[in-house]
Amino acid sequence: MMRPIRLISLACALAVIAVSLAVPMAAQSERVIAIKGGTVLTMAGAPIQNGTVLMRGGKIIVVGANVQVPAGAEIVDATGKYVMPGLIDAMTSIGIDSTDLNEATDPLTPQLRAIESYNPFGNFGEGGIGPIRMSESFSGGVTTMYIAPADSALIGGQGAVVKVAGPNLDAIIVREPAAIDMTLGEQPKKAARSRNRDPATRMAEVAMLRQILIKAQEYERARKEKPTTPRDLAMEALGKLLRRELPGRIQANSAGDIRSAIALSKEFGFDLIIDGAAAAYEHRDELAARRIPVVLGQITHPFVSNDEIPDRTEYPPVDERTPAKLKAAGVKFAIATFSRAFGRLAPGGTGKWLLVDAATAGGYGMSDEDILKAVTINAAEILGVSDRIGSLAPGKDADVIVLDGPPLSIKTWVERVYINGELVHTRKAK
Amino acid sequence: MKRRAVMWLLIAFAALASSAPLSAERQPAATEQELFLASSAAFTACTVEIPMRDGNHLAADVYVPKSGDKFPVVLAQEVLALRGATVHTAAGPPIANATIIVRQGKIAEVGQNLSVPAGAKIYDVTGKIIVPGMMDNHSHIGASPTDLNDTPMVIGPQHRAIDALNLDDPDWREAIKGGVTTVVTGPGSGENVSGQAIVIKTFGSDLQKRILNERGGMKFAMGAKSRERYPSTAMGVAAALRSYLIKTQEYMASWKKWEDEGKKGPPPARDLGYEAMAEVLTNKSRVRAHVHSATDVMTLLRLKDEFGFDLELHHSTEAYKLADEIAKRKVSAVVLPLGPRIGLSEDVMAGPYILWKAGVRIAMHTDHPVINQKWLRLCAALAMHYGLPEEEALKSVTINPAIIARVSDRVGSLEPGKDADFVVMNGPWYEPKTRIEMVFGNGALLYDRSTEDK
Repeated sequence: MMRPIRLISLACALAVIAVSLAVPMAAQSERVIAIKGGTVLTMAGAPIQNGTVLMRGGKIIVVGANVQVPAGAEIVDATGKYVMPGLIDAMTSIGIDSTDLNEATDPLTPQLRAIESYNPFGNFGEGGIGPIRMSESFSGGVTTMYIAPADSALIGGQGAVVKVAGPNLDAIIVREPAAIDMTLGEQPKKAARSRNRDPATRMAEVAMLRQILIKAQEYERARKEKPTTPRDLAMEALGKLLRRELPGRIQANSAGDIRSAIALSKEFGFDLIIDGAAAAYEHRDELAARRIPVVLGQITHPFVSNDEIPDRTEYPPVDERTPAKLKAAGVKFAIATFSRAFGRLAPGGTGKWLLVDAATAGGYGMSDEDILKAVTINAAEILGVSDRIGSLAPGKDADVIVLDGPPLSIKTWVERVYINGELVHTRKAK
Repeated sequence: MKRRAVMWLLIAFAALASSAPLSAERQPAATEQELFLASSAAFTACTVEIPMRDGNHLAADVYVPKSGDKFPVVLAQEVLALRGATVHTAAGPPIANATIIVRQGKIAEVGQNLSVPAGAKIYDVTGKIIVPGMMDNHSHIGASPTDLNDTPMVIGPQHRAIDALNLDDPDWREAIKGGVTTVVTGPGSGENVSGQAIVIKTFGSDLQKRILNERGGMKFAMGAKSRERYPSTAMGVAAALRSYLIKTQEYMASWKKWEDEGKKGPPPARDLGYEAMAEVLTNKSRVRAHVHSATDVMTLLRLKDEFGFDLELHHSTEAYKLADEIAKRKVSAVVLPLGPRIGLSEDVMAGPYILWKAGVRIAMHTDHPVINQKWLRLCAALAMHYGLPEEEALKSVTINPAIIARVSDRVGSLEPGKDADFVVMNGPWYEPKTRIEMVFGNGALLYDRSTEDK
């Protein structure tokens, strides 16, 4: 029996589907859209003054300074504005209800797939205060995000890279599965403590991970030698990690946890991405030498846990110098919001302030372009989707944002957001 | 251990300095602690070599906790002059190419074409931006999470933040680096009344001197804090608060009666809770109320109408829906809950602007550690993004929180006679890309970016 409030929220949810996700396939026509006259930050070369971006059929066809606009094209005047690729939030659990994040019954669940908890419809914060609609979160310019299945499981499962809007829940997928998500540090301990089981220490965390990865190696061998060996979904998922078909993303913030993550990747030979990485600068030379990329947690707020009051032993104090230190050492990094459920107040989180957060890394020797790469092309490369997104280049998806000022200024608004060539957000005039 | 030893030395040294004839107006009466420290001062003076010229007394004791950091321990210069910056005083329009003269830890003069006194230490800050040391009206800095809420008690006005303060918290140092020099830090919000906050500087070794106002406000928190006990509804919370306030009135009346009757017989039994709440009802203190929903905002306004206390709304999520009612009662609002951290609807994000338009005095807050203390200025910047004019946004992290916390005679703006707390930046204060270059507190250089490793 639905209470009236439920019915209302269902109606709201349906309305939001209509607005934000119903991008009709038919509309991805051969009609050409030309965004003209702006400063184009392609993330694949020098900025183009007075540039034009031509899009057709959901793809970018031309980017340049002296571009002939075909007759009949829809022209968007971007004079005095900035045009750049849609932003990529490389770590979130946006769209996953807090009750569907973290399969807390088991600390090791590589078989889970985040896409099967993903539900971006409706108001976040329903029944709470200040609900934010998915469509409102577009106002920050994010067009693609990584969704993780967990933030406190030793192995949470398989994450996905999705567009924030599209014709349906299947068409939004860019890469799935995209990585195996793991967590080291306080979170798995806390989750286990409430159930009085392992891991109770960081030692147990690493031992449990090693044990299951050894088991996965044995499973691989067994399947090869005897193809009738019964299938095991968890082992199959870890097999993809061991065969380097998928990278392992390990959330590790303290210097010790980062060391453990690196040691695991060395022992089992998988590709590693460090998430959160508050103390990454402590290992910057090794990260650079081993080409291990880093997805940095929020600079303005590195506490990526679900706790309202974060654990001081877990996270070193905020340091906005880290990105510049990593850049100087040659470590590839993205900056992400790690947005996820936050109690009753905002079960949805938001990636809305990704640009503001990235901007705080400025002033330590990085150019604006270096900073913007951390939320566009570098994020795309780390997520393994740079063939489709992350820069403005012919043949790539037409994910384009138009801003009314320099992207890293607090005064700037994202005015238009295109995903696959479709306009999904325009700034409402106040 | 080493750090602690250094700290003790400095505390003791500060006590020695404080016994010099300071010009500071507010010499607090010597506490037991200070007397103890003074007795050890002679010993300390022999063991610490700090050059002191005759007459060059210390304007302020300045010690920033050193936990493997790069902070210099700097003693305040007698006279400083900072020349060439654009100064936002928070007390008038910005002054281009201005000079700030600091004398004995206080602002002596701010303006154009000032002559620099002979012997002053001169800082060339041409092209920089200077704003007052920022103030956060709602923080939990220095409090352990396990000391914030005495949750078994639904109403505990007798609890004092000062009794749970950790001066070794590394976040104090981060706060200084973020240009935050004064905070209101206190308990809450796990109880409906969680106790008394304090207004305190983020730097300095002498706790007693760091505190600007020990009556930092009585924390209320609207909304049920438990489903397991009374009150478990918004109605229940309103009734419980009203009932406690009435009991406080009765308590005050019983004491007045005893005094009016010539203090005959035994006095009424003392009750720390009612005593603390009586300070609210006599306007010696005020109510800082954690509140999100418009319904609870209205409940608070009703309670204020009934009991006449001074009220601040905190978080104030839906306060914009009652902007006129709030403005009419001259209630101030501490706003933009968790701005940079979580998603709030566009309406809520525009709330500070709407309140300001209606005439409500607003201040920003980080709710540290919910948002790290050092990013206070980003809260004001986000409000600017949603329409708040630049100077008003700056006031919301400087003079407005100081007025609300009743310490604007000391901090919040750059005016002669006020504490020399200010921040030197390399660009517009509101831009996230801008870096803080120097932070001064009581006229001493607390943070200098040029000494940081890159």
